[in-house]
Amino acid sequence: MGTEPQRPNGDARNPQEVGDAALVARARSGDREAFGLLVDRYADQARRVARAVLQDPDDADDAAQDAFLAALVKLDQYDSARPFGPWLMRIVANAATDRRRRRKVRSAVSLDEGLVAGGARPDVLAEREVLLGRLRVALDELPERRRLAVVLFDVEGYSHAEIAQVLGIPEGTVRSEVFHARRKLRALLADWRDDG
Amino acid sequence: MTESHTPFDHRPDARLGAALRAALDPPQDRAAFVARVLAGGARTPAHPVEHLLARWAARGIVVAAAAAFIAGLVIGRARTSVEPSVSDDPGAMIADVQSEPNLLLVATGR
Repeated sequence: MGTEPQRPNGDARNPQEVGDAALVARARSGDREAFGLLVDRYADQARRVARAVLQDPDDADDAAQDAFLAALVKLDQYDSARPFGPWLMRIVANAATDRRRRRKVRSAVSLDEGLVAGGARPDVLAEREVLLGRLRVALDELPERRRLAVVLFDVEGYSHAEIAQVLGIPEGTVRSEVFHARRKLRALLADWRDDG
Repeated sequence: MTESHTPFDHRPDARLGAALRAALDPPQDRAAFVARVLAGGARTPAHPVEHLLARWAARGIVVAAAAAFIAGLVIGRARTSVEPSVSDDPGAMIADVQSEPNLLLVATGR
């Protein structure tokens, strides 16, 4: 598990740290260092969200990079009265979706059949990797919107209202999508160990 | 896993979140990724051409509107100064009013 705060723009951040709005204001005026701090702050989150859409880590990184550069160009459109994270994640999700559409045919995640079937488990690490592989496959089988909803809610810690803003859907639909995604994914977690 | 969750559950599922995070976490190369984004950003102008054009267009519209307003004022004043002033003579005013129907009659007579 990573040691970073659950939400880069959340309460877990060091109070001495410069807020997102201040960094955006500096970046708008051409301060590239401020933009770099924003990228550093949201890099992991953006890459995870992009990967939730694209599966392939390299494609996800390309999409996340596209999203950051698009955000740089669109910074004038950002309303600083609102949280920066959902605004950026919407751009990330759109960039990832666009990339997937352009790619047309998505290559399926290739997992060894034995692993998917729960084959040999030589040690705990291998067992963990098998479970992660299954989880990725299960995630991949979810509709894209459902996948994004559960990742934004349970991994990134966004609220239903914020996710509704990111995905452009009603809040009630977000709740429903999270529920259905969880119902499928939880079934895989019986053997999950948090200390892995 | 013993908690019951409903669609209206507002609590994040820490266990599922941890597992998904592990499944989606990128490699530990954030610095390299940030450097890559910034390198791309260095090639991206802070204000690309379309934004620049949009700003110029907005300024152009404001300037054109101001110019049109000023031109309207100038032309309006010029016309006011060229047109004959309204006479204070009641007889002349009546003659002006009466001359219009005559002109109309001539026109319809053709």
